[in-house]
Amino acid sequence: MTEKKKGKLTKVLDYLKHDDPFSKGVSFCPGCSLELLLRFIPQVLGNDIVITGTPSCSAPVLLGQNNQSWHTLSYFGTLMTGAAANATGLVRYYKKAGIKNTVVCFNGDGTAADIGFGNLSGAAERNEPFIYICYDNEGYMNTGIQKSGTTPFGASTTTTPFGSASKGKNLRRMNLGLKMAMSKIPYAATATLSDLDDLAKKLLKAKEAKKRGFAFLHVFAPCPTGWGYATENTIEVCRRAVKTNYFPLWEAVNGKIRMTKTVKKPQPVSTYTELIKKFAHLNEADLKILQDDIDYEYCMLGGLSVLESECQLPVSSED
Amino acid sequence: MSSNEFLKHEGPWSDANDPLMCSDTGGWRTKRPIVDKEKCIFCGFCAIYCPIQIMEMVENSYFSPDLRFCKGCGICAKECPKNAISMVAEGDF
Repeated sequence: MTEKKKGKLTKVLDYLKHDDPFSKGVSFCPGCSLELLLRFIPQVLGNDIVITGTPSCSAPVLLGQNNQSWHTLSYFGTLMTGAAANATGLVRYYKKAGIKNTVVCFNGDGTAADIGFGNLSGAAERNEPFIYICYDNEGYMNTGIQKSGTTPFGASTTTTPFGSASKGKNLRRMNLGLKMAMSKIPYAATATLSDLDDLAKKLLKAKEAKKRGFAFLHVFAPCPTGWGYATENTIEVCRRAVKTNYFPLWEAVNGKIRMTKTVKKPQPVSTYTELIKKFAHLNEADLKILQDDIDYEYCMLGGLSVLESECQLPVSSED
Repeated sequence: MSSNEFLKHEGPWSDANDPLMCSDTGGWRTKRPIVDKEKCIFCGFCAIYCPIQIMEMVENSYFSPDLRFCKGCGICAKECPKNAISMVAEGDF
């Protein structure tokens, strides 16, 4: 055999120190970014994590079916209204019993941004020591692609369809990551699946920050079935979302925001929306509204990231 | 388990020794990834981005998918920097 030019193995494989606890044939759609995220988390954090979650796309796999299981992790299934409250209970039990492990509250954007936001906000205020991961597929995908609070402007869903009377969602999306960063929790970050080394670093940082309190991760996870794009484009959609500043990557330690990836020349949002069928009906004026919204949020992030260094606070901070 | 006097039997769902459930997801596939061993530079991008994590290292020289579980999404072919993976329709086999 002739000598072959070998590249270097990607560094992401160094983060995958633990076994994959899931069985191979798992009932997620082909090209599902949630499956990649779910297999990634225990390989980075270790198989001793306890996952608690709610009815969502992740639940049929995490909860198991009939009397069999898809994985060997510990899972506690709960209702959407009480996701973070249940994680709080688990954390307090483990603390009382003297068991050292990591509780991961793994929810979709419907739970995190809409239905279970009260619990999430309360847990952040009480600074409960667990990791809350929100995988954001911008809608209620498991129940049939209804719109949620994080669905962006113009997106066509089954409750905001495109037709003669409606032109997709006519409201802007909420920025959940920024909301949680404003709670001044020890660690809040956004991540996506095109930058897996960034995601792995943030997961490990969240595990470290858990000793000080609440850690929140907002992971952008596109859905090929609900959004209408070809299954092979999952990572490309994530990449373009970062490159157009649609989903900027940042982290906030104790509320201090730092960009972890800055895009030098942000592309127009049309390079992102052209891949996805739920944005197919958008015209120039709609794209301008979406672009303005993205620019506004990015400007706000940029401003917040320099705020603490530029502002001289009248009272010296506690630390 | 036997120390619990109220629940003698915890139920079959708590028996971790049972084999894990596993679907025949390879049957969903419409296109099959074919790896060109010569073009493969062993960078590992297909392995990390594969949602099912079925790309296996073979002889430390190339990656090969486990076709029993491959759903045929095509992410590996799209993300390969050298275009070493091509998606071929299942009907051709």
